[in-house]
Amino acid sequence: MTSRFPGRALRGAVAAAATIALGAGLVGCGDNSGSSKGGGSQGKDTVTVAFRTPNWILPISAPGFTQGENAIFGQALYRPLYQYRLDGTAQYNIDPQRSLAEPPQVSDDGRTLTITLKDNSWSDGTPITTSDIQFWYDLVTANKDKWASYRAGGFPDNIDTWSIKDEKTFSITTTKVYNTAWFIDNQLNRITPLPQHAWNKDSATADVSDLASSPEGAKKVFDFLTAAAKDPKTYDSNELWQVTSGAWKLEKYVPNGEVTLAAQPNYSGTDKPKLSTVVLRPFTSDDAEFNVLRAGDIDYGYVPAANMSQTSYLESKGYTVSPWYGWSITYLQLNYNNPKSGVLFQQPYLRQSLQMLIDQPTISEVIWSDTAAPTCGPVPAKPGTNTDTARCVYSFDPAKAKELLESHGWKVTPDGQTTCQSPGTGPNQCGEGIAAGTPLEFTVTSQTGFAATTKMFAEIKSQMAKLGIQLTIKEVPDSVAVTPACEPTEASCSWDMSFFGSQGSWYYPAFASGERLFATDAPVNLGSYSNPEADKLIEATQFAGDESALMAYNDFLAKDLPVLWMPNPVYQVSAYRSGLQGVEPQDPMNLMYFQDWSWK
Amino acid sequence: MSTLSEAVGPAEPNDTPPRGLWRQGLIVFCENRLALVGLGLFVLLAAVCFLGPLVYQTDQVHTDLTAVYRAPGEQGHLLGTDGVGYDQLGRLMLGGQTSIIVGLAAGVLATIVGTLLGAIAGFFGGWVDAAVMRLVDAMMSIPSLFLFMLLAAIVTPSAPMLILIIGAFAWLGPARLVRGEALTLRSREYVQAMRGMGGTGGRAVRRHIIPNAIGTVIVNATFQVADAILYVAYLSFLGLGIPPPAANWGGMLSDGLADTYSGHWWLLYPPGIAIILIVLAFNFIGDGLRDAFEVRLRRR
Repeated sequence: MTSRFPGRALRGAVAAAATIALGAGLVGCGDNSGSSKGGGSQGKDTVTVAFRTPNWILPISAPGFTQGENAIFGQALYRPLYQYRLDGTAQYNIDPQRSLAEPPQVSDDGRTLTITLKDNSWSDGTPITTSDIQFWYDLVTANKDKWASYRAGGFPDNIDTWSIKDEKTFSITTTKVYNTAWFIDNQLNRITPLPQHAWNKDSATADVSDLASSPEGAKKVFDFLTAAAKDPKTYDSNELWQVTSGAWKLEKYVPNGEVTLAAQPNYSGTDKPKLSTVVLRPFTSDDAEFNVLRAGDIDYGYVPAANMSQTSYLESKGYTVSPWYGWSITYLQLNYNNPKSGVLFQQPYLRQSLQMLIDQPTISEVIWSDTAAPTCGPVPAKPGTNTDTARCVYSFDPAKAKELLESHGWKVTPDGQTTCQSPGTGPNQCGEGIAAGTPLEFTVTSQTGFAATTKMFAEIKSQMAKLGIQLTIKEVPDSVAVTPACEPTEASCSWDMSFFGSQGSWYYPAFASGERLFATDAPVNLGSYSNPEADKLIEATQFAGDESALMAYNDFLAKDLPVLWMPNPVYQVSAYRSGLQGVEPQDPMNLMYFQDWSWK
Repeated sequence: MSTLSEAVGPAEPNDTPPRGLWRQGLIVFCENRLALVGLGLFVLLAAVCFLGPLVYQTDQVHTDLTAVYRAPGEQGHLLGTDGVGYDQLGRLMLGGQTSIIVGLAAGVLATIVGTLLGAIAGFFGGWVDAAVMRLVDAMMSIPSLFLFMLLAAIVTPSAPMLILIIGAFAWLGPARLVRGEALTLRSREYVQAMRGMGGTGGRAVRRHIIPNAIGTVIVNATFQVADAILYVAYLSFLGLGIPPPAANWGGMLSDGLADTYSGHWWLLYPPGIAIILIVLAFNFIGDGLRDAFEVRLRRR
């Protein structure tokens, strides 16, 4: 008898048995008898790192490609004008060693910043000059709508005069007098010199010219570069990406697979790579990564929250285990433009009720094994410190959430389906646009591969079910990509809630203002939240000379709930071979400097 | 027109009282001890999954973060609790219900579709046979697990959806088997006689082809069920199963693997062992049924 299925069911049973046997074997290893094969790269000049495959190479961010791995990959190949550190020792948080320019000279009126480039060169020996800065400026100015970092009124709209003085010096005059720290940390951080001598063309066969100097030409060049960046399989072969300014060059790239970086022999920076090769190896899940880490086959990986009890085992096998705290916040994005659920999210009382059903302290402690801390507002706690949960306006309180719903005309049916009973816009009614009988049911688009995230949403779903709010959890590999900012009429606007915070949702630049996240039409405002008061407060942070504006903005949004605040996990609990030096300190802004790494 | 022949199989010895087909099959089945063990195992597992919750009542809807990772026996949890506080034994029962229901339904669906199409293709032959069999060949050339994963990734998995997805691709095997049977059966004299007397092709398929291939169909159905249960487990193991608070053994096994190194063995072994037991049970039952329907083995 034959069967359609492979090798008949008995073989399947054997396979299942093998799975169990494998599990049994692994469990059997226990804490004392596990074997490290001493794999990885220790003693060589290579390091193997657990790392999601980046999928964007052009150092101009694009919507849908703003994931952390792309930022790390990008800056390894292309040095930004300024790089930053948050240890409080540097002027304007600028890292003097890694930056391509000296700190800006600010005019007395605070409007003009004069910047002088240091002596650096591209990998082909061509000096990095202001022409490369101008080329970047021309491209982003002509293609603002395609640049993920753009928002109306922000850079470059806030530039009054952009002036190239000579090959090494340029100046920027702003339209208003901005908070200098904000402008340097959150505006100048976007500038990345681009090799105009190699990229200023609109096709692979065209000659390099000054095409980008006109807006039309800049659009053509930008489209050409963007098309190339959207073709990952050619990353390691396309000549465009061979000219770099970073400490590394791309040696091998496998789409959705391994990426190999080799030390750039012509790197002009002072922080020369000490290793010759860095291998970035992706894993499909926490379990797969941890199995390989435990077997000793990678030099740098992470410990999933479910396996925190294995810390001592890893340490006994020669790994250093260290949490990587981020300058970050984590949240559940709500889609205000969803034609169905958007009207519900517009109601502040409903957002408050939902927030009060998320038990952040307990989830952080139990599910994230204390590697997460509650998020209470848009301004993050200092990395590595415990969040003061007293800052949270809406603590876990299901009874109050229920009361809030009932007082606004909802018929709460525990473990059933809560529906709007009293439609209308009165104080005790459901609110504008909500019809009688409207159910409270939402779909969360979450991430695959993170065991703690799956458990966290099981808990949240359970809490919401107790008030008759039905949550459907849909896990996808890349939740950002499938939950874009959208208009109500678009087919892509059917998502309700999106979660992409298994390693933190958003990592701030040095100055933690929210113009990219929560301002109306901000580039990463995926849910299209809009509140004039919030816009005003966000704008104020750009001008205030002290932190009071930042606090006012934080307090308002903490209360207004543009998103639902969620436990903020560490970026990861890193585990690296103890012989690997230079990993610490781990950058709270979520960048990795492989050039600092070396074997003892 | 040829005359009707005597019984196709060997004649019963004259000194043996005639037995009914089903009774005879039952006796042979009962002589196969492994088949009885399989049947017993299935009944036991089904009883635990479907009747167990009436006796051992647990909350499988709400999580309880104050009771995570309780060891077996601790605070009344016979098999402990998982990472969000669900009672593991209760979850095993709930998961078993899904696995058995989806497995049985998908297996039966695949068998019905496969039998019908296979019988029609084999009996009518010609372009009908060519069309059906080329479709089968084409679909068989694509790894079924890949197709399941693709579909499960596109649609939100639920129990009915899993039944449809698995059933939609699992009918290929039965179709081929039954088509082979139909090819031999259609030339039998009693079929020829019925056609000669004006019987339609549909009647021939309905009254002669399928009933005479029923042994093959039933035996294959048991394997189909076992396969379907495994496919539910595969999909859930790969994260494409029914989302919580629903459960199934494959998903539980997958979740348990995340805790492999933490010493929470009760999250790993029970669902794994349950999958093995139920798949083995159906295989043993299938072997027993094959003996029972095999004419040569039936005659003892």
